[in-house]
Amino acid sequence: MRMQLKVHAKKILLTLFCVACLFNISSAQITDTTKVYKKKVLENTEIELLMSMYGQDGVHSPVNGGIGTEKLSDQTTTIVISIPLNADDVLTVDAGISAYTSASSSNINPWMSSSAAALKSTYIGDIKGLNASGASSRGGGGGSGGGSTGGGGGPVTPQNAINPVGTPWLASTGASHAEKLKSLSTNYSHSSDDRNLIWGTNLSLSSEYTYTSFGFGGNVTKLFNDKNTEIGLKGSVFLDQWKQIYPTEFKEYLRIGPDFQYFGYFYGVTILDQAGKATTAYNPNQFKSWSSSGRDSWSISFYGSQIISSKFQAALFFDVVLQTGMLSTPYHRIYFADKPRYYIGTASDIANYTSPTNTGVYQLADAIETLPKSRLKIPLGIRMNYYISDLFVLRSYYRYYWDDWGLKSHTVNLDLPVKLSHAFTFTPSFRFYTQNQVKYFGPYESHLSTEQYFTSDYDLSKFASRQYSLGLTYTDIFTRFKIKTLGLKNINLKYSHYDRTDGLSANILTFGLKFVGGEK
Amino acid sequence: MKRNIFFVIIAMLLLSSCVAVKEYKKVYLNDPDMKLSALDTERFESTFQVYREGSSGANGGKTGGGCGCN
Repeated sequence: MRMQLKVHAKKILLTLFCVACLFNISSAQITDTTKVYKKKVLENTEIELLMSMYGQDGVHSPVNGGIGTEKLSDQTTTIVISIPLNADDVLTVDAGISAYTSASSSNINPWMSSSAAALKSTYIGDIKGLNASGASSRGGGGGSGGGSTGGGGGPVTPQNAINPVGTPWLASTGASHAEKLKSLSTNYSHSSDDRNLIWGTNLSLSSEYTYTSFGFGGNVTKLFNDKNTEIGLKGSVFLDQWKQIYPTEFKEYLRIGPDFQYFGYFYGVTILDQAGKATTAYNPNQFKSWSSSGRDSWSISFYGSQIISSKFQAALFFDVVLQTGMLSTPYHRIYFADKPRYYIGTASDIANYTSPTNTGVYQLADAIETLPKSRLKIPLGIRMNYYISDLFVLRSYYRYYWDDWGLKSHTVNLDLPVKLSHAFTFTPSFRFYTQNQVKYFGPYESHLSTEQYFTSDYDLSKFASRQYSLGLTYTDIFTRFKIKTLGLKNINLKYSHYDRTDGLSANILTFGLKFVGGEK
Repeated sequence: MKRNIFFVIIAMLLLSSCVAVKEYKKVYLNDPDMKLSALDTERFESTFQVYREGSSGANGGKTGGGCGCN
């Protein structure tokens, strides 16, 4: 038996060897007969380092049902390496890490208290037969809820417990307060000998606390008319996955059931009604957990560009994007207009709940954001660039967007690069954006419990935004400054300020370095 | 919708009336600022705009993936 296997293995190996030799000979013959000079698509390896610092603040956090702080800061570092594999093929690897802190998502569990966390570890095991160490009872995915035990010393009981406090206007200290987003993508492209046909494929992965994304796609571009006209087609698929993280009150309701107020995280915690009196009437029975957590995006992008004159060129972009699956966010709270209000925290702050002066009370939600399970998006963009003179270039972009959730938007972007010298370019930019709201949007406490879909996410509301930017670019085409074999080709610095009419504002600083590898 | 169709027709007429520019006359068109896609420095801005606005796409960039939920 063993002998037979060996013979078979040898035969297979011999066959593979012969096939490989045949391929080798035939490819060598082809190479010999078609040996022509080709300029490399990419002469040398390029390495680009990009860094950004982003900060925002606003007053309409969707985690708090459309009110409260949206403070967020993010630092991102990305490295993009483009490697010429041969004269025709280029491999690009793009890796990034983004560290962010978000006041908004820290309020998945808004209660910064000692008692609830301590109480659960003391009593859950006894009462419910659950694991006393049960980190899950701290709101688990919803955040740590408050961490330390109640102020040192002996066991915490319902009698000596301090009621937890939270507010939509301050960050809590939940697990989602500081997180990292890691991403990796690769792109391979091949150009034909005459450089009139380019095709490529790509693969991408990204992961963060609440979400993972896996994507792949392919693209083909055809150039003709002396490379004056270019058309392209690109297809992409993203298969994303949510982590089912719910606001703490729902997480506990889901875990324990209607009696959740007497066990687990909320054991010993007083729930208040609108008058500030203790009640046990809160029952979030409208909350439904998700049956699945996937989100898929399928897109086809058409691209066409045309050289109009020796100083003027334009491009058209047209995408059709279909998203399916869980398109809402599981920890965006909803408060209905037709439901009574319930709170945890300081009774005296209830009267000014929607004001930033509220520092001690947080409202228990009625439901989570619910949106349709499909969305068709159709954006159409045009870019026109004109080389005015050796001093000025005008870059312009317009986009019209439509989707079947009722959102329409217009975007206009203008850049005016000013060439201060051969090395330095100063670029002021202006961007204007306007959108109407989606059909399912309503501000805090405006939705009715009878509605099928609801969101209080102001990213989907009606607003306009303006962005002002200043950029400075240094270019050294001779790459005189070197680090070992890498020559510095570009330095980019850009600052942008962004204002939205609903009160959100943001600042972003971007810094980039581009190095080019030396000749081999 | 009619306005959009009109916009596309005008754009196509503009494109069809062009003459071919020879390679040696493309010195201005090859300037880095004439690139017909978003600049590298716009990469992070585009990301936060996609997160903070309801619309996305049609700029040659990413058309999906990522939650933008913070």
